[in-house]
Amino acid sequence: MLSHAEASEKFIADAERTDWHDETLWFVRAKRDKASKVLPEWEALREHASQIKDHTLANLGSYLQAFEAKAQANGIKVHWAKDAAEHNAIVHGIIAAQGSQLLVKSKSMLTEECHLNDYLAKNGIEVVDTDLGERIVQFRKEAPSHIVLPAIHLKKEDVGETFYQHLGTPKGNKDPQFLTEAARQHLRGHFLASEVAITGVNFAVAETGEFVVCTNEGNADMGAHLAKVHIACMGIEKIIPKRADLAVFLRLLARSATGQLITTYSSHFHKPREGQEMHIVLLDNGRTRQLADPKYKNSLKCIRCAACFNTCPVYRRSGGHSYHQPVAGPIGSILAPNIDKKANADLPFASTLCGSCSNVCPVKINIHEQLWFWRQDLMAAGLAPVSKFIGMKLMAFVLTHPLIYRMGGAVMRRFSRLLNTRLNPWYKQREMPIAPKASFQDWYQKR
Amino acid sequence: MSAREEILGKIGSHDAVKHPGAFQGASSDFDFKASLEVVGARVVSPEELEVLFPGRRRYDKTMDGLSLADVEVLEIDGEFGVAENGAIWLTEEAMPHRVAPFICQHLVINVSEIVPTMHAAYERLGGVNSGFGLFLAGPSKTADIEQSLVIGAHGARSLTVVIRS
Repeated sequence: MLSHAEASEKFIADAERTDWHDETLWFVRAKRDKASKVLPEWEALREHASQIKDHTLANLGSYLQAFEAKAQANGIKVHWAKDAAEHNAIVHGIIAAQGSQLLVKSKSMLTEECHLNDYLAKNGIEVVDTDLGERIVQFRKEAPSHIVLPAIHLKKEDVGETFYQHLGTPKGNKDPQFLTEAARQHLRGHFLASEVAITGVNFAVAETGEFVVCTNEGNADMGAHLAKVHIACMGIEKIIPKRADLAVFLRLLARSATGQLITTYSSHFHKPREGQEMHIVLLDNGRTRQLADPKYKNSLKCIRCAACFNTCPVYRRSGGHSYHQPVAGPIGSILAPNIDKKANADLPFASTLCGSCSNVCPVKINIHEQLWFWRQDLMAAGLAPVSKFIGMKLMAFVLTHPLIYRMGGAVMRRFSRLLNTRLNPWYKQREMPIAPKASFQDWYQKR
Repeated sequence: MSAREEILGKIGSHDAVKHPGAFQGASSDFDFKASLEVVGARVVSPEELEVLFPGRRRYDKTMDGLSLADVEVLEIDGEFGVAENGAIWLTEEAMPHRVAPFICQHLVINVSEIVPTMHAAYERLGGVNSGFGLFLAGPSKTADIEQSLVIGAHGARSLTVVIRS
């Protein structure tokens, strides 16, 4: 697997496309600014949302149990899964009991986290992703590169070619309107034929036992309301205490994500419809570990709006796939090391620590601070790249020995070209300045 | 030990943090019609509706969502609208089937009550009174191809709202 820096190098090889990616996401960020500034109470809303989440995390156990009891009383079957394997086995069991071999799924980053599609495919069950962006990347055997805009790394020419290959649209047609219509017709057939539908969950309300799913396309509802069996998969951190809390989160979510006033559909599933089976799978998969660590606990407040992606100067110029995780961007970089420290040791370093992510976060997660905490933990655990480890040790040694610092400085000023080689990653895309002949100390002593 | 017990055990207990209570200080000067236009809906008078969709009709309750697959224009009643974002609260009691507002090609919704914000909306709703309900704001849309807005992804291709007093 390529590290973030290595994968980014491939991404930015196409300068024109990199600029396009950068500008398109910045455009989404600008829409978020506009939609949030309309509300004078925006900052108070963020603070309120953050406090609700703090309160929820402090009482997570009792809220989960309250939610479970209410949901069961409403006729929903509740399952608990401690890791991805358990989650996938539970979902497979439900599908197998139904005897289905085809199912539709709306966007769920949690099922990406569990690699559910691959697991079901191995068991002879075909999953059709129904969000347009997800269907596009599924055809291409790629992962989503953004949690809200899964195909944002692609140009319309790419989508046109993919649909030509998989849906038989005319070669060369790259009109978004035409391609969306082709996907509508193609997926409508699957909606009408599928007996099982899987959806994600945006919010689950402990007070009522209902869960809310937000989409713009209507794909979650098309699947869930036509299927005999609806399986909703959620992380245990998606719980909120009260129904009235939804007002706060629904006002923040779409404005932060895409600059919309609200998503087109905010569906409140409270009871299965007559004759339907409804299941909820509650997944831990490392979330309780994150909860137990005061440094990282806050990351569980995330409502997956991706505002931190759109604002991040590194994400915009490196693309989601460089993060090699279902959730990319700044928030992904603080979530992933909790699941696998070693495999994701590069991600907390994929940041300038500029803090823009924390500034736009609707639930006020201190993302940039947690990136910095992870760097310290990874260095202490010996998981940072060897070159970084040695470099840091060398720097610490030089900076604590004034004589060596001065001698080293003199040598480097004389032979500054030594730094301007391919061995120095900073030199790859930058023109290094020519070092002045005298150091600041020399200059100061002469005055 | 079951996964449930294991997860609840790992969550353990934490220092008390208070719930902040109901949100105070929400703005209230929103225009429902203007918000509807932002979300891509069309607002018409009852007379204009007659001209636009003369053949529209209401549908009876059905257990079979698939039977609605060919519905061209569906007319239903919304419970109330939200001025800040153009969302309309719908419950399954007011529709032929849960899938109805999604599977039809064009949707017409009558609204006669408007609340200013989402906070007011949930206050108006109180407890849960329906097995399924939703806030619907505009027609189905997507921008998944190069951020180009396309109306009519999987759900209704258009939303027409009639505000009746």
